Amino acid sequence: MRKNLAAAKLAVLNQLEYRLNYVIDAIVQPGLSAIIEVTLWMAMLTGMGTNSLGGFGREYYLAYAMWATFMGRITTNWMYEFIMLDEIDSGRINSILVRPISFYEFYFSQFIGYKLATAAFSFLIPLIACLAFKAPLIVERLPLMLLLLAYFLAFTYTISFCISCMAFFMTRAQSLTGMKNMMLWVLTGELIPLDLYPEPIRTWIVHSPFASGVYIPVAYITGRIDTHLIMQSFVSISVGLVLSGLCGAWLWRLGMRSYAGTGA
Amino acid sequence: MRAFDGGGVSLRKQSMSIVIQTRDLTRVYKTYRRNEGGWNALKGFFNRQTELKAALKSTSISIEAGQIVGLVGANGAGKTTLLKILSGLIYPSTGEVEVLGFKPFERKSEFLRQISILLGQKAQLWWDLPAADSFNLLTSIYSLDPNQAKSDWLTLADKLNCREQLHVQLRRLSLGERMKMEIIGSLLHRPKILYLDEPTIGLDVLAQKTIRTFLNEYVQQHQPTIILTSHYMDDISSLADRLLLISQGSICYDGTVDNFVLHAETKLNLDVKSEETDFEEVIHKFFEKESRGRQTSRPQPT
Repeated sequence: MRKNLAAAKLAVLNQLEYRLNYVIDAIVQPGLSAIIEVTLWMAMLTGMGTNSLGGFGREYYLAYAMWATFMGRITTNWMYEFIMLDEIDSGRINSILVRPISFYEFYFSQFIGYKLATAAFSFLIPLIACLAFKAPLIVERLPLMLLLLAYFLAFTYTISFCISCMAFFMTRAQSLTGMKNMMLWVLTGELIPLDLYPEPIRTWIVHSPFASGVYIPVAYITGRIDTHLIMQSFVSISVGLVLSGLCGAWLWRLGMRSYAGTGA
Repeated sequence: MRAFDGGGVSLRKQSMSIVIQTRDLTRVYKTYRRNEGGWNALKGFFNRQTELKAALKSTSISIEAGQIVGLVGANGAGKTTLLKILSGLIYPSTGEVEVLGFKPFERKSEFLRQISILLGQKAQLWWDLPAADSFNLLTSIYSLDPNQAKSDWLTLADKLNCREQLHVQLRRLSLGERMKMEIIGSLLHRPKILYLDEPTIGLDVLAQKTIRTFLNEYVQQHQPTIILTSHYMDDISSLADRLLLISQGSICYDGTVDNFVLHAETKLNLDVKSEETDFEEVIHKFFEKESRGRQTSRPQPT
């Protein structure tokens, strides 16, 4: 536990070294995305001459767009995935392989440390915006939503681990990150709320672990769904975690067999 | 080239404990090869031509506790591959390897706590952090007592004259300063076995001397087992009490530096005139001969 906390602290220290990057990643980038999404939804509703879409009103879309963009930034992992890919690709992974801490554990601790430090600041923005614009928000649901997100981070990190293991077998595996993030953009509901998808696609995605990245937590705190669905999400994340964990362990073992310690 | 035993070492094997042992260890790398030009690139897209290159060929060595072994060979001879296998970074293709009773490639925590590897051409501390922060992280990773560890790294920094640089970001240090920090980081947990892969590479004469003197003192005080590779023969002659010469993946000499110089002409068929008894000179001739031999051998296509 001590080494995990130390690695998490390392992530925070690294972020503090590069203050501007941190501000851009935690606030500016999701803030701009939120402004674009809110503008698009409002324009769409105005253009259609209606105040509701799919049974939900303007204020729901305002709240959804605000939370979804910030939540998407937290639950989508690209920065640490790039670092992990680069470590394997360049051979810098050697410095971790010879220490009594696993690659998975080392970067997981850093990833969690970084995400917690980022979420603490960036979630203040949709929270303040929702309160200021009187958008729907059930404050007492926030703790369970945060718990679900924290659990989802373990899942999304394990997917990143699987992708970084691909660097053992191919160069420029970074292209997989872009592909995965596009997929998550759609499947988590960051792009469009999942309840606007046609059946049965909607049901499939809602019951997949991916929906717990954005749609389920946002829908839960804005009152679109009930508590039973969030409990179900814990189960679907667990299944996803086991499957991605097995896949990651297999890829790691195979990768280490072929690893040549490149670059060192 | 046939291996010969330089003597003096095998007698001690009887009385000391073996900490590193390999038997018929090999490592083969698979590499992609294609000829130049657009057409060949297109052909390579559909049909990859790979070739196998044996970086290490049937290597058997035994190293006793407390021994300082100089591993010398030309570029691509297999030195770093051997160190990577012994430290658990890579798997051997065939053969057996045991270090401190562990199979290195299993990378068990108890094993990793007892070894350290310093790769002179690769930073192992964290690039964006001051060394002091990296040492604190290592203290936690190795579960060391924080006060004791801090006292240790301050002492080591004093000995290497780099206390002033402890709080400067690693990326902003000179090569020599960075190497000193890397050395401190690799010794912090007091490893029983230390692999030093070109620890003085690219350093000026003064920095090389400082590191050499420091390592000499450290060895006398803590008596770790060390395998040292270097292209600077002063490193080897001043630190190593045993020389392993590696050529094209095979150990071709195992013995003392003195015996190597004395018997190079007869045992390794080197053209050494009687008045040229300098170690560096003999090694230079050995590399020249090896380079000529390498040009005639080619990897095996698959």
